[in-house]
Amino acid sequence: MNNLLIVGQYVPTNSIVHRMDPRVKMLIIFFYVIFIFFANNVISYGLFTLFALGSTILTKVPRRFIAKGLTPVWFLIVFTFILHLFVTREGFVLFHVFGLPIYSGALEQGAVISLRFFLLILLTSLLTLTTTPIEITDAVESLLGPLRRFKFPVHELALMMSISLRFIPTLLQETEKISNAQASRGVDFRTGPFRERVRAVIPLLVPLFVSAFKRAEELAMAMEARGYRGGEGRTKLRELRVVKRDVAALVCFIVITAAALITRDYS
Amino acid sequence: MRSSNLTKTITIALMGAISMVLMLLNFPLPLLPAYLKIDFSEVPVLLAALLFSPIAGVAVEAIKNLLYLIFTGAGDPVGVVANFLAGMMFVLPVAYFYHKFKASKRTLVSGLATGTVVMAIGMGLLNYFVILPLYIMFAGYPSMGPEAKWLAVTAGIVPFNLIKGIIIAIVFVPLFAKLKPWFAKRKRSGSTAA
Repeated sequence: MNNLLIVGQYVPTNSIVHRMDPRVKMLIIFFYVIFIFFANNVISYGLFTLFALGSTILTKVPRRFIAKGLTPVWFLIVFTFILHLFVTREGFVLFHVFGLPIYSGALEQGAVISLRFFLLILLTSLLTLTTTPIEITDAVESLLGPLRRFKFPVHELALMMSISLRFIPTLLQETEKISNAQASRGVDFRTGPFRERVRAVIPLLVPLFVSAFKRAEELAMAMEARGYRGGEGRTKLRELRVVKRDVAALVCFIVITAAALITRDYS
Repeated sequence: MRSSNLTKTITIALMGAISMVLMLLNFPLPLLPAYLKIDFSEVPVLLAALLFSPIAGVAVEAIKNLLYLIFTGAGDPVGVVANFLAGMMFVLPVAYFYHKFKASKRTLVSGLATGTVVMAIGMGLLNYFVILPLYIMFAGYPSMGPEAKWLAVTAGIVPFNLIKGIIIAIVFVPLFAKLKPWFAKRKRSGSTAA
């Protein structure tokens, strides 16, 4: 878990997908998730599958990392499939399993819905595999930019996100240190009645919060000393810019989605 | 003035980070479905909501869920939204009670009790009308009848949220009692220095 928290799921392979503008990646995923629900025949599903698999290959991320990202949902996908197999009663009976009839419609529907589920998870997981948390934060700040007009504190939110991201590994280390320190003083986190075990969290949380408050004051002072004065007119080290490859990706996505929308069944 | 504002912003960020770390240390409850997990991530949210303002609580909750989404790869967006709403329903009544009436242990406890009940009922309704149907659409489950949904709500979601609220309250009341004097002292010395 430590590993998960330090880098998230990011796998640096410096592929073309890694170098894409994170905003473009997020927009594509957002619309993909919406439009895949319009697919309803072999061609339209084929096109969306093609797009997802093509993107996956372009990321050059080793297959085991992709599989690892999917592990928590594998069970759900398989479960969905099996559920459909036994519950749906359409078409004709294909064969019997444990005396239960399996219908042709069930097989088809189960396969289609599991495929859709799989594609959704695959494509969204590509974002975190190819984009660092900081880039995602930058993209969120930029995409939420228009909300600034409604007095929504976009810059503050982005600042808080990047500070949180920076301190997660530190806090995790601290949690471990404190829990070891308390264990050495005899706090028992594992045994005893439930109520006692729940209460054992308190000596863990108190020092964690106290040090977080102290850290916040120090960081605020350090930032002010270096002239931080809010988001107004602040410049950035990494500027997000939409370049040719982003446009190419967008065009690719639009063409495939349009083709899928044209070829889907409207009857 | 600005300094205290920036400190607040950063504190909220750190509370969000702590909350996210605590969210990962979750555990299932015996006798309830395994997808309902308890964690202490609501504790920093409560702390921010009581020490600063209800809005600060909302911010911590939002950061926690955004971080969770980024780190775990958006496999379950519905669950993340549900977690955010549950947290809001729990924390806002507590903050309202605490800021509106005289801040005492009794106000805190009655606020926590109200929050627990609001969260349990609110999540029950939300699951029945929105979340379960959304899961059905997202994962394409064969649609559940009203009886099946009712069973899921009354046997799983409502008791789960009640227990969750009680467990968090058991931890939070003594924790807040310990932290509050420390924080008050610090605030006073900070303002004289500034």
